[in-house]
Amino acid sequence: MNGQRIMVIDDENIVGKMLKAVLEQDGYNVETFLGGAPALARLQEERFDVVITDLKMKGIDGMEILLKVKKEWPETKVIMITAFAGLDAAVEALRGKVDDFFPKPVKIKDLKACIERLLSTP
Amino acid sequence: MKIVHKINLANISVIILIALTGFFAFENLNHVLTKLRFTEIADDLNASFLEMRLSEKNYFLYRDTSALAEISKKIGESMMTLESVKPDIIKATGEKNFEGLKSCLTRYLTEVDAVRDSAAQTVEMQAGVREAGQKLREFSDQITHLERSRVNEILSFSKRQLFSSLCFILIAAIGLRYMTFFKILKTLKQIKRVVVSISEGNFRPVETEIPDDELGSVMTAINAMSKELEDREEQILQSKKLASLGILTAGVAHELGNPLNNISMIAQTYMEVYDSLSKEDRIDFMVKIEEESHRIKHIVDNLLDFSRPKKSKSKIADLNDVVLRSLKLVQNMIHVCNVETSINLQEGLPPVFIDEDQILEVLINLMTNSLQASSRGDSLKIITRLLEGDEYIEITVEDTGKGIPHELLAHVFDPFFTTKGNSGTGLGLFVSYGIIKNHQGVMKVDSTEGVGTCFTIELPAYKANTEEEA
Repeated sequence: MNGQRIMVIDDENIVGKMLKAVLEQDGYNVETFLGGAPALARLQEERFDVVITDLKMKGIDGMEILLKVKKEWPETKVIMITAFAGLDAAVEALRGKVDDFFPKPVKIKDLKACIERLLSTP
Repeated sequence: MKIVHKINLANISVIILIALTGFFAFENLNHVLTKLRFTEIADDLNASFLEMRLSEKNYFLYRDTSALAEISKKIGESMMTLESVKPDIIKATGEKNFEGLKSCLTRYLTEVDAVRDSAAQTVEMQAGVREAGQKLREFSDQITHLERSRVNEILSFSKRQLFSSLCFILIAAIGLRYMTFFKILKTLKQIKRVVVSISEGNFRPVETEIPDDELGSVMTAINAMSKELEDREEQILQSKKLASLGILTAGVAHELGNPLNNISMIAQTYMEVYDSLSKEDRIDFMVKIEEESHRIKHIVDNLLDFSRPKKSKSKIADLNDVVLRSLKLVQNMIHVCNVETSINLQEGLPPVFIDEDQILEVLINLMTNSLQASSRGDSLKIITRLLEGDEYIEITVEDTGKGIPHELLAHVFDPFFTTKGNSGTGLGLFVSYGIIKNHQGVMKVDSTEGVGTCFTIELPAYKANTEEEA
């Protein structure tokens, strides 16, 4: 669990801040981004173990990030967060090989368990 | 009166005029014929009188008494002729002249008989015969001459009468037609205006007095159609509103979803990291929750604001003033965007009866949209002018910005339609449209992608005699 790198992308400032506080307490190394473009730029520089991204964002959205990450760095896990808990979005996200999917409001305990599970499986 | 009746009346009037003219012309002709008949008779009589005078001359030259008998005989014949054509003569020249002629003949006969019967045959008696003969000739000549000149008079009078009647009929026919068709055309023009206005989506009824004819029925039908269309549009709008309720629900869910998720995350994180938090950190967490609650309240307020019918504070105002006020409010934005503005406000516009704040909101909305669609160096044009007919004032807000794609143009007034992504609510133009409609005005948009967009507002000019609408 030590020093594993997690990237959080959400245009809501609070989401990044809160997840950073919780996950850093658990020993993760967390970086937060408010949009897709700077996040992808950062991914080019360094590898992350988990990318947690909001689905609906201005400019580059969560789906685009998912496709890009799975294409370039398939071993990086992607968790999708979205306000739309509809089936359509879930199916689309799964088709893009998303590792897990959380509707808002996010249960942080479940999210933490999910991260743990994803990082423990090879 | 119905148009068909009007046309019939005009036609009948012209026919009566023609008949009257014909009648008078016929009468004159009859008169002329009578006179001509008289001159014919008079010519015959004159010939007899001439013969009498010739016999008279013979008597005086040769003292031939048989000539006197000849004269008496001829006078007798003339008397008989005179009696036989008495009605014709009386008709043509009057009883007085007839009697005059008769008395001249009688006197001539008396004088001639006196000479014949007398043995002496004095010079005085002979002079009497000569004088009576002369008088008869003169009298007869005089009447004939008079009647000939009367025939000429009647003929030239008839000519004048016919000519003036013709002119009168012509003027009456043209005048009646003009009066009838002028009214019809005027009403048709009015109907055309209303139909054009309806086709532009403005369901104003025909305001002028409705005539009691076929065009009146057309106008009544158009008014009914206009009302029906307005109702239908209202219904369509209602169903559109229902349809947009779905979009509204999704929109609200999304809008509220984010702050709710934030509050939830703050609370969870707070519990998760509670032990490691300082007092200030804990307060900071609560402040964040408070902020997110405010965000929710703001969204709810906006929604309420949109759904609640606003109380109108309409009063008489100068539209140019409102435009200038709105410009002042966006001045800073214009400056920041570096957009060139040109303002062309027509002077002496009639006043309008408006809620200034609402119209201000609409104008600021339009200008803000224009500025957001414009880039450095673009231009923004604002024009006010009085429309033809002096009933509506037009405000134009025109930019040379990026324009709206043709396929989206029909949706710009729809609720929640926005081209600005998350930064727009999609309610601005929808609300603006409602405000203008509530002011009995019209709002239109025209746009070409890459060229620019032009919003046009038409507001009714305030008329002092119209009742104030609350």
